[in-house]
Amino acid sequence: MLVTFVVFVIAGVFFYLALGHVIDYNIREMLDSRRASVVLYLQNSDKDKIAAVSQDRTIFIQKISKSAGYTQISDTLAFDPDEKGMIPYRKMVFSAVAGGESYEVIILQSLLESEDLQAVIISFMTLLFLLIFVALFFLNNWLSNKAWKPFIQSSSKLKSWKLSELHLVRFEKTGVTEFDQLNRMLEEMMAKMQADWVNLREFTDNASHELQTPLAIMKSKLELLLNDDSITGVPHNQLYDLFQTVVRLSKLNEALLLLSRIENRQFAVDAEMDLCNLIQSRLSYLGELFAMKEIEVTSALEAPFIVQIHPMLADILVNNLLSNAMNHNFVGGSIELKSGNQEIVISNSGIRQPLDPQKIFRRFVKGSNSMNSNGLGLAIVAEICQANHIGLIYNYLNDCHCFTLRKTSDSLEAI
Amino acid sequence: MKILIVEDETLLSETIVAYLKKEGYRTEQAGTLDQGREKVNLYEYDCVLVDIGLPDGNGLSLVREIKGCHPETGIIILSAKNSLDDKVNGLDLGADDYLTKPFHLSELNSRIKSLLRRRKFEGQLAYVVGKIRILPEQRQVFIEEEPLAVTKKEFDLLLYFVTNPGRVLTKESIAEHLWGDFADNSDTFNFVYSHIKNLKRKIFEKTGTEYFRNVYGSGYYFEGPKATPEKPDHTIKTDPL
Repeated sequence: MLVTFVVFVIAGVFFYLALGHVIDYNIREMLDSRRASVVLYLQNSDKDKIAAVSQDRTIFIQKISKSAGYTQISDTLAFDPDEKGMIPYRKMVFSAVAGGESYEVIILQSLLESEDLQAVIISFMTLLFLLIFVALFFLNNWLSNKAWKPFIQSSSKLKSWKLSELHLVRFEKTGVTEFDQLNRMLEEMMAKMQADWVNLREFTDNASHELQTPLAIMKSKLELLLNDDSITGVPHNQLYDLFQTVVRLSKLNEALLLLSRIENRQFAVDAEMDLCNLIQSRLSYLGELFAMKEIEVTSALEAPFIVQIHPMLADILVNNLLSNAMNHNFVGGSIELKSGNQEIVISNSGIRQPLDPQKIFRRFVKGSNSMNSNGLGLAIVAEICQANHIGLIYNYLNDCHCFTLRKTSDSLEAI
Repeated sequence: MKILIVEDETLLSETIVAYLKKEGYRTEQAGTLDQGREKVNLYEYDCVLVDIGLPDGNGLSLVREIKGCHPETGIIILSAKNSLDDKVNGLDLGADDYLTKPFHLSELNSRIKSLLRRRKFEGQLAYVVGKIRILPEQRQVFIEEEPLAVTKKEFDLLLYFVTNPGRVLTKESIAEHLWGDFADNSDTFNFVYSHIKNLKRKIFEKTGTEYFRNVYGSGYYFEGPKATPEKPDHTIKTDPL
């Protein structure tokens, strides 16, 4: 539309200039023809009878001493009795020789009519342009709607398509070869993506099943052995070490599988959860654990922090953050929980030096003092936050390690 | 009490059988969905343990079937997948409980007992160990008819021990029983220790008997006369089996 408008403006300017030129040319022609008739009149009339002023007061003739042979054209204003005002004229001044006398003739040609004409034409053209412009606008809209309809349909279908929902998208025949081709390619691509995704998910599920079951066997066999009265002393302790290792291994396997499932976005977002609420309920559940470690918990979680998240992930997120705050704390330490301004801050006392924010969310990065942590807790937290569009920031403030969950623009939009 | 175990891993089901046999249950095994279906249709069980990932199909369909023909049968789903959807679906279909592999046998045993208590005795069952008498539904502990004040966690702990008498309960399994997912925490073993210490002291003060025994640093053992479930209205101690 902008292009049309520019074209119209340029065409209008050119038309205006051309019209002016034509009118100028016309007036010149008229002046020339009147000049010719004046010259004829001068030549055919008696010297004495030559009128100085024509009846319509547009031709003035006066004798001059000598003929210089000139012609001048200029614009001027003159009084017109009909219009009762000054109106623009084109003035032609020229010298003519007739019967041995030199005359200076002034011919006035009213520009009023031509200006009126010009105004009429211009306004008519402007109106026409406007009409065409409006018509084009609607035509264009209608045409593009019609022409792009298959595209818009396809794109809206694509927008509502979710890999995890596993329904095949079928595009209707559009009748346009290009669109049909595109749709067919899209269909194939989506089918392939879904097949790959199902494969991956099956692999993850299988891996989980295939690993967890042997681990379950090992663990239960060891539990039976630990219950065997004939095994005592050192062998019992060795069995227990083995048992502990198997427990650790299965927890590790579980954590890694969880990570890959989050990465594969296998948790559909289906609920709105208030994380503050969740933290509160976890706090009351774990209160005695904190009390036993003499950790002072201060919580100011009045403002809700609502995000769209799978309930299981929300649980794991809160659990891991609280667990982290307790695990890396010292006896008699403190945990502070704050919410507000679309964020939650969990800060805990711990080792008195800042941690590397680049490293702590990576996998298998362990604090030196805790033997039991598998180094995946915060990696899982980071992965959950990323998958659910929650900002996660670590900083070290007033000897406290602060973890901030913040709503990002994406998560705000989603709600 | 008859228990059916539908599990394709023979090694695992055999271990479960070995553990449950000690409790005096009669157990049967099915390795496939078809076998499970056949057994369920032929006999009546008090409790069925169903693995979800069976070679010939999803164990959830068996849950539906059992609920159709024997609604009183208790069902516990065993799954290698810690999947909320499976859990919700299974419980919706009528399963009573859901355990994720790998589980502690003592935890499984405790869950079976709690399930049978609810289903078979409508919760009206007390455990008596020596002078201690525990009412699980009312969450009360009596020592020779005198109520003993215990915290919520101490009660859970005591019930866990009483339902697994004469067994070594590892610190891991106790921590997981009490705190679930939070048991990963390195400090939880200390908490287990202090809870047991408190409980031990409370019971010792009243009875003069030591019931808890430490087992080589690996866990704890609940000693004393075997826990005997009884119906409160029966004066004669009934055989639980």
